Amino acid sequence: MSIFIQILLNSLETGGVYALAALGIILIFRTSNTTNYAQGSISMFNAFIATYILMGTGLPAFAVAILGMLSAFLVGVLVDRIVIARAQNVNPVAKQIITLGLIMIFLGLAPMLFGTDPLQFPRFVYGAHTIMGANISYNAILNIIIGIVIMLFLFIMLQKSKWGLAVRATASNDIVARMMGIPTPLITMGSWAIAAALGTLAALMIAPTSSVNLSMMDGVQIIALLACVLGGFQTFYGPVVAAYIIGFASNFISFYISSIWSDSILYVLILITILFKPNGLFGKKIVKKV
Amino acid sequence: MEKRENKLIQVYKSKKPYSDYILFGILLIILPILVDFGLIKYSYLTTIASILIFSIVALGLNLLVGYSGLISLGTAGFMGLGTYLAAYITKDLNLPFEISLLISVLVPMVIGILTGLVSLRIEGYYLAIATLAISEILRKGFVEFEVVTNGFSGKQASYPTLLGFLELGRNGSFIMIVVFLIGIMILTYNLINSYTGRALSTMRGSEAAAQAMGINIFKYRLLAFAVAVAYSALGGVLYMHFVKYTYPNAWTLTLSLNILAVIIIGGIRSIPGTILGAFVVFGVPDLILKRLPIIGDIDGAAYIFNGVLIIIIILFYPLGLIHIRNDLKKIKFKLRKRKESYSEQS
Amino acid sequence: MNNHDFILKIEDLSIAFGGLKAVDSLSFEIKEKEIFGLIGPNGAGKTTVFNCITQFYKPDRGKVFFKNKDGQVEDLVGKRPHEIISKGLVRTFQNIELIRELSVIDNVLVGSHIEFKASLLSQLFRLPKARREERDLRKKAEEVLKYMGLYHIKDQLVAGQPYGILKKIELARTLMLNPKLIILDEPAAGLNDTETIELMEIVKEIRERLNTTILLVEHDMKFVNNLCDRICAISFGKLLAIGSPEEIQANEEVQIAYLGKGDE
Repeated sequence: MSIFIQILLNSLETGGVYALAALGIILIFRTSNTTNYAQGSISMFNAFIATYILMGTGLPAFAVAILGMLSAFLVGVLVDRIVIARAQNVNPVAKQIITLGLIMIFLGLAPMLFGTDPLQFPRFVYGAHTIMGANISYNAILNIIIGIVIMLFLFIMLQKSKWGLAVRATASNDIVARMMGIPTPLITMGSWAIAAALGTLAALMIAPTSSVNLSMMDGVQIIALLACVLGGFQTFYGPVVAAYIIGFASNFISFYISSIWSDSILYVLILITILFKPNGLFGKKIVKKV
Repeated sequence: MEKRENKLIQVYKSKKPYSDYILFGILLIILPILVDFGLIKYSYLTTIASILIFSIVALGLNLLVGYSGLISLGTAGFMGLGTYLAAYITKDLNLPFEISLLISVLVPMVIGILTGLVSLRIEGYYLAIATLAISEILRKGFVEFEVVTNGFSGKQASYPTLLGFLELGRNGSFIMIVVFLIGIMILTYNLINSYTGRALSTMRGSEAAAQAMGINIFKYRLLAFAVAVAYSALGGVLYMHFVKYTYPNAWTLTLSLNILAVIIIGGIRSIPGTILGAFVVFGVPDLILKRLPIIGDIDGAAYIFNGVLIIIIILFYPLGLIHIRNDLKKIKFKLRKRKESYSEQS
Repeated sequence: MNNHDFILKIEDLSIAFGGLKAVDSLSFEIKEKEIFGLIGPNGAGKTTVFNCITQFYKPDRGKVFFKNKDGQVEDLVGKRPHEIISKGLVRTFQNIELIRELSVIDNVLVGSHIEFKASLLSQLFRLPKARREERDLRKKAEEVLKYMGLYHIKDQLVAGQPYGILKKIELARTLMLNPKLIILDEPAAGLNDTETIELMEIVKEIRERLNTTILLVEHDMKFVNNLCDRICAISFGKLLAIGSPEEIQANEEVQIAYLGKGDE
């Protein structure tokens, strides 16, 4: 039982990291119609910035994390203004390649500015607690809560606020949205900024265990993309829920079946699932008319 | 004398584009000779060889994306599979290169056909990421099947020996790569201009029309995947026998995206475009940017500039760099016109 | 089963989408060499009938008997969409389904896809068999294009051609196999008067020259009345009347369905 709870708590933490990254990807997908493969690189880059601030100022980790998210927000705005906003007439596949160009830029910039050595990033809080025989760090609890709170906040905003309405309108049809007076370029820019901030938070959550390095987000990036496929690209909540599912599945598979092959088994299971649900678990089928 | 020359040009023109491809191949084969004379640096040759290898891989992807309208981010995984099979079969099993080539292309092809089955249910972004998952499964295999793959530390092979006695050196291997590339260009050209090519195009343009005209979508999707994966695996085999080293982290999403970039940047549905794209994506950093002052001196700068270059090309030539031809023609036309009007005035 | 004079016989055809009956127990038959019109108000289920015949949709109930090229009558229901053309039945589409990136002649050549037999290897290496086959069928496509008056644009891309030309190209594509039955989905939609009249002549001529049967859906009543031998009127997926153009014009139920009750 205690092992089960332990896995459950671990899953909530990793699931939260995946969910933050996935939410960033789906926000951008819905407003700019591209899968942002650079999400991981942008997050990694800003994690480096945060770590540098930490080393330079000695501020507490959570304050640094907020600054890192702010810098990510800014990077997101710049990326949109300088590149994405100019690519409105570019076809979807070519847009994906633009995000590859972004990967190259950030992957080139990071070692130039921050060197190639991995850096350490501390936990937000230290100490641990035992719940029903399961040992859980305060940091993990904090991460779980931060993840859930931020995502709940965003979902409430998406449903209730004027901004949320504008995002949803842009997502469903940006041309009509623009005609109705919604500032779609601003909405798209906001998505890139928020996505970058969410990704950076995810990066800083895994940083204490993974260290801050060039490839720190590679795995998270792939799982976040898979979460979008598993949950479906049509809703905002689908990928988030799928990210948690993947988090659970991955922890359970590696404990009960095989830790070496857990990723492979997981990917196969995801593949099988989408074969049966080609538009994701929460997507609807779109009927083509002849 | 002049008359004979004209005849030669006539033959050349009548055999287009084959004659273009073969001329390109001959020019490439001269390169190792120039290296031997010290006119070109050896490192250039290595870079060009990998450009050519990636061109082969990208030609397959161009067939898949450009003609059948499907997408794959599994390219790197299949190419990697080709390298490992080639290394294992020639080094560990000590079998001849020819047999290794056959098996190393056929095995990934079968897996590619299975991937094609996925494409019957899933499309667009879903397919892209599903194929990415398949590629990642393969990559995990490269790490964990240590008996065959040697795990993280990677695996080595040597230059190929043809027919059991013809040991190719560096130059020989380079020439072999060129021959394969030109062959693949010709075969690809033939394929896209055959009824199969038309069927693939129709499938992409209108699934309904394809079915109404008797085109079996099932068959042609699998075929497109089979060909694309076969090219990837062939690229892998050639890579293994030229670079002589493979390791799991060489075959990641970034490489798949790079190969997709090759066809988008060069020109979708264009064979010369693909080659051009490969030069931009895989050649520009090593051949040009790193040789430049300042940019070449800073670590990572070449990479950044290539990223910027890719973005700029897509923003200005969303249909591919190969379309620069039309613009150049237009400029030429304009200049001539201006000249004419100028001379008329005077 | 061999000596029937029908080429297509639909029996009790029904299909529903989410509870809505798009086609409801529809039966009719088309005689050989007939030009047969299917009419009905918007949303009457005309295109759905076509899609059920060509197996793009699987009907919930009913049979679609077709006398194929060998004179055998068989039920098409359950066949896969790409198998239909080989029986001698070929169709056009409401929204013109041509391939923009291919030339006019290549689009027409797609129409004889099933006649190409060369193996993949033969195509890859352009072996004599593949070359001969390509040359012969290309010649045939050129003839069809000449016949349709499109020969001069054969090497142009389809993208950017005017609407009337696109309609003709799509029609040309159906002629490559000398089909027994051609199904035209709103062939005159979007054409101007002269083009419509020209199309009418072409359709009549095709029937004579290819000895074929034509089934068409059309909104333009003048077009249908002038062209068709018999007409089937449907409304909400149900049969209203079958008969000659005059009979259909005189039919009260058809008038109600088209114009509404008591108006005008």
